[in-house]
Amino acid sequence: MRRPIITVLVFLLFLSTSAHARVLLDITSPGFTAVPIAIYDFLGDERGNRVSEIVREDLRFSGVFAPVDREAYIETPLPVFDPSNWTPLGVELVVKGSVTTEDGDLVIVLYLYDVVEARKVMQKKYRAKAEFIRPLAHTISNDIYKAITGQDGVFKTKIAFIAEEKDNRTIYVMDWDGKRLRSTGIRAPLILSLHWSSDGKKLLYSSARGIQWGIYLADFTARKETLIYRSTATNIAGDFLPDGRAFLFSSSRKGSPDIYLYHLRSRRMERITWKRGIEVSPAISPDGKTIAFVSDQTGTPQIYTMGLDGRGLRRISFSSGYSTSPAWSPRGDSIAYAGMVAGRHQIFVVNLKNLEPLQLTVKGNNEEPSFSPDGRFITFTSDRDGYKRVYIMRANGEAQRPVSPGKMRAFGPKWSPK
Amino acid sequence: MKRLIILIFAGLLILSCAPRKVTTPQPQTMPSAEEGRATGSAQGKGTTEKGTAEIGGEEVAKIETAEIKEPTAAELTEQERMEILRDIHFDFDRYDIRDEDKPVLKKIADWLINKDNVKLVIEGHCDERGTNEYNLALGDKRARATKDYLISLGVPEDRLQTVSYGEERPLCTEHNESCWWKNRRSHFVVIEGGQ
Repeated sequence: MRRPIITVLVFLLFLSTSAHARVLLDITSPGFTAVPIAIYDFLGDERGNRVSEIVREDLRFSGVFAPVDREAYIETPLPVFDPSNWTPLGVELVVKGSVTTEDGDLVIVLYLYDVVEARKVMQKKYRAKAEFIRPLAHTISNDIYKAITGQDGVFKTKIAFIAEEKDNRTIYVMDWDGKRLRSTGIRAPLILSLHWSSDGKKLLYSSARGIQWGIYLADFTARKETLIYRSTATNIAGDFLPDGRAFLFSSSRKGSPDIYLYHLRSRRMERITWKRGIEVSPAISPDGKTIAFVSDQTGTPQIYTMGLDGRGLRRISFSSGYSTSPAWSPRGDSIAYAGMVAGRHQIFVVNLKNLEPLQLTVKGNNEEPSFSPDGRFITFTSDRDGYKRVYIMRANGEAQRPVSPGKMRAFGPKWSPK
Repeated sequence: MKRLIILIFAGLLILSCAPRKVTTPQPQTMPSAEEGRATGSAQGKGTTEKGTAEIGGEEVAKIETAEIKEPTAAELTEQERMEILRDIHFDFDRYDIRDEDKPVLKKIADWLINKDNVKLVIEGHCDERGTNEYNLALGDKRARATKDYLISLGVPEDRLQTVSYGEERPLCTEHNESCWWKNRRSHFVVIEGGQ
């Protein structure tokens, strides 16, 4: 512990406790409308405004909350609460807070009030090094989100993507909202196909080096890159299995691109498809039992699913054109992919029960969808601004916006599992 | 008396907090799932929080990229480059050799059979339409079809190597059919043999 324990104890003595639980919002219900929430600029100094603004942006983008106009804030910013101030305005939740500095650290005390239940839902103290103001604000967003919906928020997740510079590509990681961009240092003329391990500590990808496509593993804990498999064939990394002990990949090592499973410990390869055409882009279902992939067995690339043993083939996409890059929703009930409409690629989501595809994008070419871990958002690549850039949107297609830096050619985004 | 009360409270707190581990964030992990683990992390269900959430961050730790040496390109004459090792082309989303390209491959095969100590690298390329991964597989099919045709003309297999670049290395960068046609190709590179 970095501070005298007594301050924590004294602080805790003043905390009120409440055993009574709020009725959680059902954010999946079809009639759901965003909850009006008032988020005050936290008292103290300008960092309070910054934190409040980040929290507002997080909660607004979620689509679950609707931060109300600050002009409507009639109550004092001090941590006192009178629900009768808010009921006439239709505001259902109120957030207040204060910012202080302790030993150079940023400290925030947060209060969340529920107007409908007329009570304080949460009071919590946060502490971080001054430079981690954004992670701190995102932690607050996650806590508010969880307190009201019972679900884990994704405001601290990241997106990995590939940036193309002059002669090289670099793997970057940024916060899901595009902020705090950092290079991993992994740089090569050709890099493709990023895949997170389920603990979010490793990335698997393909890179062509010395005129051979290899599958490489970056370990962010050990801080090293390891070559897993390389040959004169085309070897393209696919998803890790949920337990992290094996991954899917596609390889033309036996002549034609087929799907394989690679067991990391034994280094054993298991062939799953045995076809003459192209089978590529294997993606594993969240329960680890079903593979979605692309096959051109009918003449055009389409999405199929099959068991881990290659049995139970089922066609998922039925467009006349081109359907590629499947991604499972974390609930396992739908698959996002890029389908062709009037010569351009658009993101679709198909429900696996009725196989009815829903088109989510319209402008430019939109490819490479990847779901957020809660399934409520999708990151993808779009060239609607004239060059490839990483975008995010809600999983129903709302609130589309670019998140990778302007002017940077960026593609292949993968939302981190944590 | 006051001290006693504080002690009792402290005791209660320690008991109630006991199963929750205080995790100090680990620096130097990038990107780390450890980031911002909270003491007394949200239990959801709208209960009042206890304790202080410690939010860590991550410091950017660079990973070194493993380099692999590129093979050395063989020296070629102007005539070899311009008249023999010409690109062959493919129709959209196809990987069969077109009849008009068969004489080009015949020339390449004859030249290669008479040329010792070099290896022919066949690069398969695609136009920008389609996703990168599928195009990488498509480029692989194009390079393989080209290789198989050269083998059928008598070129020993060990003189040939394929690599797909999919849509990653376009020859032409405009967005129209004449440009896409140029990019849907097998391209030939000669490297010094024996490797």
